[in-house]
Amino acid sequence: MEDTTRFKRFLKEGNLPTPWCPGCGNGQILKSLAQAFEELNFDKHQVVVVSGIGCAGRSAGFFDLDSVHTAHGRAIPLAEGIKTANENLKVVVSSGDGDLLGIGGNHLLHATRRNTPITIVCYSNEIYGMTGGQASPTTRLNTKTLTTPEGNRDAPFNVQAIIKAHNCFYARSTTFHLPHLKKCVVEALRHPGLSFVDVITQCIVNNGRRIGFKDAFEMLMYYKNNYKINDNAEFLKDNEIGITRCAGV
Amino acid sequence: MLKQLLQGNQAIVQAAERAGLGLFAGYPITPASEILHELVERKDIKVLQMEDEIASINACIGASLAGLKVMTATSGPGFSLMQESIGLAHMMEIPMVIIDVQRVGPSTGMPTFPAQGDIIQARHGSHGDYFPIIFYPNSVEELYRYTFSAFNAAEESLSPVILLSDGYISHLYETVELKDYPIAQRSRSPLGTSNRHFTGLTHRDSKPVTSSPETHRDLLAQLQKKCMETSRNYNFYEYMENTEADTLLIAFGALSRAVYQFKDKYALFRPIRLFPMTEELKDVASRYEHIVVLEMNAGQYCYQVERLIHREVGLVSLPGGQIDIKEINDRLQGLRQKLPKQVSVS
Repeated sequence: MEDTTRFKRFLKEGNLPTPWCPGCGNGQILKSLAQAFEELNFDKHQVVVVSGIGCAGRSAGFFDLDSVHTAHGRAIPLAEGIKTANENLKVVVSSGDGDLLGIGGNHLLHATRRNTPITIVCYSNEIYGMTGGQASPTTRLNTKTLTTPEGNRDAPFNVQAIIKAHNCFYARSTTFHLPHLKKCVVEALRHPGLSFVDVITQCIVNNGRRIGFKDAFEMLMYYKNNYKINDNAEFLKDNEIGITRCAGV
Repeated sequence: MLKQLLQGNQAIVQAAERAGLGLFAGYPITPASEILHELVERKDIKVLQMEDEIASINACIGASLAGLKVMTATSGPGFSLMQESIGLAHMMEIPMVIIDVQRVGPSTGMPTFPAQGDIIQARHGSHGDYFPIIFYPNSVEELYRYTFSAFNAAEESLSPVILLSDGYISHLYETVELKDYPIAQRSRSPLGTSNRHFTGLTHRDSKPVTSSPETHRDLLAQLQKKCMETSRNYNFYEYMENTEADTLLIAFGALSRAVYQFKDKYALFRPIRLFPMTEELKDVASRYEHIVVLEMNAGQYCYQVERLIHREVGLVSLPGGQIDIKEINDRLQGLRQKLPKQVSVS
């Protein structure tokens, strides 16, 4: 029988528990990453995980391999430096939407332009969770947050369009659809150029409860009911998750 | 021995190449761009032209962790953008060389004019406490020589070392003997060999510790000790004694070349390692009644000298990119009439 716990070799169990709140989805993404590494039969010394700042920024420290926890927003250029220095390494950026799309947004634009062969996993919880619940680049229109008491007036970042503008790999999943999430990460890691996995994850404490969700389970049920899997789209609709087609690859 | 006529910025590249530079990441800026231009011609060095200076220094940090010797080069505005990540590099103990070719600031200032306005930025520009090693040569030959020192000190201290230049000496052409100096090797294994966690958070044994003042103090003390001990092996300065003189002039970089003109009337001291400040200056200063710092800013190093020797120090402040011998002479004369006689307290 297949040993389903082998992925744990990629995690520093001694460093647990994580600093994340009860109900947070980040742990599921951490696990999915480790499972994807295991499925691809990676050597621990073949992978480097790089993160930025914020809740998801703490993810790098839980991998049992060389990892780097950078300044806010700088995971991508640092990862590009690693990859350029040693092309044999699998370099994975594991960070949040505020870090990657807000303060680090310009680096993302240029990394896709360069098509640097790194995999970026974005923990997209639509909020700045660690600092208490301010609007983030992915906060939806009209959502109330600490900094948008009248509702968010700015449209969320269209990250799919940004990634696909330079024909990079884009996949989207959620922390409810765990087998699908793992598949997205595996395919992203197999992609020869830049790959981006947009993971919709629940922050119950600093977002969900303020917008009407009772608990994390309700948020997960929302993901279950709202998102349909479509793994063969050119471009995903707002209520779809999936792996989009990448021309010429 | 091979001699070549080189521009200051070219000399930096010649030395960096011989010191084992593996990757350069940078962003164009006057008066540092020639370093990038020269490096893209080198087939054995990886060069990344990034989207800004923040990306540049972070790409360098990543490549350094991955095992290469790295360098970036910029001027004041770009150096300001790098400051946050310089603190990160100290916390993660990243060997790297940062070249700052100073131009007139603040802000965009006068891009093509030399200045010495980044002295305090180089020492204290990032938040929190750190103890950088900073060199500031004053000729093309010295830019060549001290680029080796910067690379070696970076490896020895596992920290980012800053090599200051200015728009004058970086654009000067002089003959340089292309000597090979000893080269330090990396003491730490590259990424992909272990399970270390490099973080800008306060940490102990590769693990974040964010609520222990004691851990933070231990970490700071260890980082300080490492940089101070390394700096002792790079104690560079130039002292031109003058037993007839009652006044010691202190200058560095481009301006110090003009100050050589006054060696008959004054004693001269030129720190080459600006920080950590050289202790010898205390002893040298004690032999003169007056101490005057000349610098192309509003007194950034002067205050540091006062703090080191616990005496009032005269200042000839020359911002704006102009170096004029007659002006310097007039200012020195004017200052001498005002300076009180001082007794050394050391």
